[in-house]
Amino acid sequence: MSHSNSDEKKHNNMNQSSNTSLEILMSKSSEIRKDVVEISIAHGGHAAASLSCVEIMVTLYYSEVMNISPNNINDDSRDRYIHSKGHAENVLYSVLSDRGFFPREWINKYYRKGDCRLGGHPDKDIPGVEVTTGSIGHGLGIAVGMALSAKMDGKKHFHFVLMGDAECTEGSVWEAALSASYHKLSNIIAIIDNNAIGASDFLSNYSSLDKLEDKWKTFGWNAVSCDGHNIKDLESIFKSMIKSKSSKPNIVIAHTIKGKGVSFLENNPMGHVMGINTESEISRARKDVDGLE
Amino acid sequence: MLSVSEIRNMQMRDAFISKLYEKVKHDKDIIILSNDYGAISLDKFRNDFPDQYINAGVSEQNIISMAAGMAIAGKKVFVYSIASFIVTRCLEQIKIDICSQQLPVKIIAVGAGYAYSEDGPTHHACEDIAIMRTLDGMQIYSPSNAVMTSNLVDISLNTSMPMYIRMDKGIYSNFKEDINYDLGLDVDSLGNDLCIISTGTIHNVAIDLSRILFENGIKSTIVDLFRLKPLNTKLLSKILEDHTHVVTIEEHTLNGGLGSIVADHILDSALNCALRRFGIIEGGIYGYGVREEVRKKLGLNALDMSKSVVDWLK
Repeated sequence: MSHSNSDEKKHNNMNQSSNTSLEILMSKSSEIRKDVVEISIAHGGHAAASLSCVEIMVTLYYSEVMNISPNNINDDSRDRYIHSKGHAENVLYSVLSDRGFFPREWINKYYRKGDCRLGGHPDKDIPGVEVTTGSIGHGLGIAVGMALSAKMDGKKHFHFVLMGDAECTEGSVWEAALSASYHKLSNIIAIIDNNAIGASDFLSNYSSLDKLEDKWKTFGWNAVSCDGHNIKDLESIFKSMIKSKSSKPNIVIAHTIKGKGVSFLENNPMGHVMGINTESEISRARKDVDGLE
Repeated sequence: MLSVSEIRNMQMRDAFISKLYEKVKHDKDIIILSNDYGAISLDKFRNDFPDQYINAGVSEQNIISMAAGMAIAGKKVFVYSIASFIVTRCLEQIKIDICSQQLPVKIIAVGAGYAYSEDGPTHHACEDIAIMRTLDGMQIYSPSNAVMTSNLVDISLNTSMPMYIRMDKGIYSNFKEDINYDLGLDVDSLGNDLCIISTGTIHNVAIDLSRILFENGIKSTIVDLFRLKPLNTKLLSKILEDHTHVVTIEEHTLNGGLGSIVADHILDSALNCALRRFGIIEGGIYGYGVREEVRKKLGLNALDMSKSVVDWLK
């Protein structure tokens, strides 16, 4: 297939623009990952669970995937984001403050401090948080109710739900999965942060939760797997799901590494409950995330 | 519009849903979610308003989360189910998704106490008041008849709080016309020898008890405490201040039910009255039997209770 000179120029410009955009998103991921580490050092929280979903969060909040910003927080046509894996609060607070939903100083003043305006799990009263989460297995069912209501009322916005893979051992997730496919809720885009580790062990040591893509497809969903740290792939999949004419609800099985970027947390079955506490851990973690640049 | 004479002879659930049917004609945001549980009145509702009735299947956790999501989206959601299934199986969803987010979801539950007596402990709801009253913000209504139940529709639509309505099964047609629902309780008084407080359809047994006691020279005040939470503490105190002896009657465990609510109030308000609680004692809750037999076994019948009260007041 041949192109005219002007077509080639346009194509090259688009590629350049796309590459620039990708570079910006990758740079933002590096920045957020460092911030998650610093927040964890200063305040605690579930570092490993946050580090596995940095690229997912950056793709959702900094590309053109989700229509959510501090400017449209009360606009009914905005997309809705539900942080169902509420224990990954560090990355959520980092992203929301960076996007301007609340002042950055709240993290130092109120995260696990004082009135805990920013608590150990997200509360609906935090600007930018739609739903209170923290006990896993609730977010998808709530999204089903929101998405069904939106569909009934002819509204066009999407509902993004980030879940953990261990969260999928909750029966309520599969109740919601059946419900979403029955009601043809194509306005749901769920993401599984598939880091293969629960709170105390590898999932494969206590559950048959493999072949997630097949499981979700069997439940009537449009399921796609990808590298959950590859922003280009994530963005492309999200955008194609938004454009899709299918009536199925959508889910991205994002294969990730728990604790990504911090060597002693990476793929560590006990990483969920480990902090970045000792001087050597702090030094190691900072060097690790700096080295990713 | 249904007449009172039609409503009074309905099942409580049909009285509620039929009244809700009249509202839904003018309000597209009213939604009923059920866990595959039917009713005669529900057939008409779903035939005429199929978009506003959702059979969410026997998935109670998902129903409550869905209800929360729909309420967030602005819908006026009623979750219709059997009490034993919709209280305990999905308690965390009720606590977190509904109560902690202060969403106005209404749970309308059939099967108070031993209403499904012969179906066994899986279908009994003898702990629901105790459980629901611990949830912050949850309002609890326990109507004693069909007309009262139908009048709770307006109340439920006008509150922004979560609500649990505990309904019995069967026809309970005795009702009073002049009830002020804002008060949360209704009082009838023949005298101040004793105050009898009951909730739900066992109020009919309380009325029988007061008659037997009257024949024994004991004049009672009868309170139908149809709103268990929030409690009308001011009015209840005013009533109890005129009594030295109080009896509570409930088809519910004594661990946290009506008797506990009244006991808490007496203690908190430093009221000077003795309390005797009739209900289900520890060790006797998981039984079978037709309802009259179960009540007899538990001493929850007017004759047995009257003997106990007469001895007590000697």
